[in-house]
Amino acid sequence: MGSFIANLILASVRMASPLIFLSLAELYSQRAGLVNIGIEGIAAIGSLTGFLVSLVTGSPLLGVLAGALAGILVNMIFAYATITLCAEQIVYGMAINIFAPALAAFIYRVYFGSGSALVQADLMITLKSALGIKSNHFLVNLFLDQTPMVYFAFILVVLTAVYFSRTKSGLNYKAVGEYPKAAATLGINVIGIRYLACVICGALAGIGGAYLTTCYSRTYVDGNVAGRGFIALAAVIFGRWSPAGVLIACLFFGFCDALQIRLQLVNNTLPYQFFQMIPYAATILVLALIGAKKAGPKACGQPYRKEEH
Amino acid sequence: MAEDRKEILRMEHITKQFGYVYANRDVNLSVLEGEVHTLLGENGAGKSTLMNILFGLYQPTEGNIFVRGQKVRIESPSQAVKLGIGMVHQHFMLVEAMTVFENIILGDARSKGIFIDQNARRREIKELSEKYGLDADLDQPITELAVGAQQRVEILKALYRGCDILVLDEPTAALTDQETEGLFEIIKKLKGEGKSVIFISHKMREVLRISDRVTILRAGQTVETLNINDVTGEQLANKMIGRELKSSQYSKTDGNGEDAAVLDHVSYHRNFKHNGLNDVSLKVRHGEIVGIAGVDGNGQSQLAMLMTGNIAPEEGSMDLKKSKVVRFDPSGFIEQNVAHIPEDRNKAGLVGNMSVADNLVLKITKDKRFSDGNGLRLKKKAIHNYALQMQKKYDIRCSSVDQEARNLSGGNQQKIILARELEAAPDLLIAVHPTRGLDIGAARFIHDAIVKERDAGCGVLLISADFDEILEVSDRILVMFEGKIMGEFSGKNPPIEEISLAMAGK
Repeated sequence: MGSFIANLILASVRMASPLIFLSLAELYSQRAGLVNIGIEGIAAIGSLTGFLVSLVTGSPLLGVLAGALAGILVNMIFAYATITLCAEQIVYGMAINIFAPALAAFIYRVYFGSGSALVQADLMITLKSALGIKSNHFLVNLFLDQTPMVYFAFILVVLTAVYFSRTKSGLNYKAVGEYPKAAATLGINVIGIRYLACVICGALAGIGGAYLTTCYSRTYVDGNVAGRGFIALAAVIFGRWSPAGVLIACLFFGFCDALQIRLQLVNNTLPYQFFQMIPYAATILVLALIGAKKAGPKACGQPYRKEEH
Repeated sequence: MAEDRKEILRMEHITKQFGYVYANRDVNLSVLEGEVHTLLGENGAGKSTLMNILFGLYQPTEGNIFVRGQKVRIESPSQAVKLGIGMVHQHFMLVEAMTVFENIILGDARSKGIFIDQNARRREIKELSEKYGLDADLDQPITELAVGAQQRVEILKALYRGCDILVLDEPTAALTDQETEGLFEIIKKLKGEGKSVIFISHKMREVLRISDRVTILRAGQTVETLNINDVTGEQLANKMIGRELKSSQYSKTDGNGEDAAVLDHVSYHRNFKHNGLNDVSLKVRHGEIVGIAGVDGNGQSQLAMLMTGNIAPEEGSMDLKKSKVVRFDPSGFIEQNVAHIPEDRNKAGLVGNMSVADNLVLKITKDKRFSDGNGLRLKKKAIHNYALQMQKKYDIRCSSVDQEARNLSGGNQQKIILARELEAAPDLLIAVHPTRGLDIGAARFIHDAIVKERDAGCGVLLISADFDEILEVSDRILVMFEGKIMGEFSGKNPPIEEISLAMAGK
């Protein structure tokens, strides 16, 4: 039982990491007033790109960087449409969700041909193996048996929290999501910050996707993002648009994910699909419980036009 | 006294076009150092547009701007700020989710470094606020501030950025009398420090009190600039609206017509003092205007909603044209020929994204004139022609009747509602704050229309927080306080003192 709980905690942290990237992507987007529901799609492209580059170069780190780049490129479609053309954000987010995973699947088929056996790439190595530590103590595993991306995810949460609460630039950034017109009258470049938000959002969502194929699973399969992009949306709301809140939400959803896998392994009476349902059911439950009070950035979803009168 | 001062700002031949509409046409403005210069004009005269150009929010189609004698191009608010121009917008530019302090330092570029230098910034702001008597609690969230306090934050914001020219766009529109006094004190202090204030308003009394010079705008053009000592309020008003104001008094009637509507001991959310009704009985007869006086938020909104069928009473009953109302729903009331000028024209009165023409026929689309088959197929041509007719009759100023209603000025929006509601020759009209935010000319037009409707036999219930408006047109005055009717007074030679006391609940 002790090892069951230990494993559960270890897995929670691992499962939370990609969610943290995806949720922060959404957080940066919404803080600038852009509701991007296309995280799922961007992550799919990031996932495939990460896998391919990691396979070809043999470096999972390069894979992650390439995933970020691919994410930015895809998100520029969203940026141009919603910021410059003032198009409906939800529609373009949805468009990316339809387009990007299909593009990823297409590239995969073109590259490997259909029906080929699963090709596997290297995973990023954990700090523990890099340092050559042999101990299997729980704390050693928790703090050292993680890939650099896990540390990066947690550090990013701290940096984001500091950015939004302590820096001038972070304050200006938030103003764009709250009241872009007021921000503009104070000399803040609204359009510029919104594009910046899309770059950050695309990069983080791409990294979140690439995490799945460079740190978690050795190969790419269609649909491997598995709704995490949508859970990230829920995590941002659950976390009340604050980095700390988002972290707690991601750990919670990560825990649900870890739990369902463990339960599948120990239980053989119930069908496994029942356990697979847990993270999604938890998402719905959480949103239903806290969804009533909306407190997000005021200008979310609204286009900003310069000379509107 | 003004002549020996240096000119700090000159705007020459400014023209601004939105599509086919000229918001400003060949406007000239000259502001001196240390003066309070008022821009006077009706709603839609182009005052705000001109100031948005000065502040870099709009680019002028033509014209030049000179600041301290130098020709400048102001392409963004940050450039305006660098030139020492600050602006307090009519709709405050405050981020509600942030504190006073955060709002003031937003976009601040004066210090290097990534982090917010709390202590230094706070010290600077404190100094400023003490110097000008702009007290503000820096750590309060904006949402907790009253309107007057929010405005002080806006002024602090502009001063913090180091402005020499401060534009105040209709600063008194949302203020109480006391807050207005406070604002005037601040303006005097600013003037004392040698700063120039551009004051935008259409309230004559304030303009006369606070300004040194006045520039009058009408229909996007400058009429003239005057020294305040050389004119009277009446002259200013006439120049502003471009025609003589008729003497203010309407004839009052005794109203011995039949009952149009009767409320009998009606209650709704009785315990909610500020948005409920407590045992209200009243009568509106054909051919009279009943004014409901009272401070906003004493149940007036609920009274209006109830008498237009939007909410049902919890106790008591209502008669419409001598028969008891059984079902409270708006469409039933419309069929009974009850017209409604709602309190919020943008939220309840108009569909902003629809055209002027479509808004005009919203209630009568089933009419054979405008559709076949009970509204199945709209006769676009007939609607268009009808709209043109209404545009003329109600003096709705728009570039085209196909223009979206939300782009019109408040007064013209209200005229659309007026046309829609009054064309059916209603038996009962419930008018709520019908002239709120409108200028003298438009308000006058609306009052004329309401009185004309009364003379045609319509019963009118006029709900307004503007006491002058109530006194101006009501034949009978009822006072509401905390959901109750406090008293009834005649509209002829109304006892102002007594009514004021009743409004305060005494």
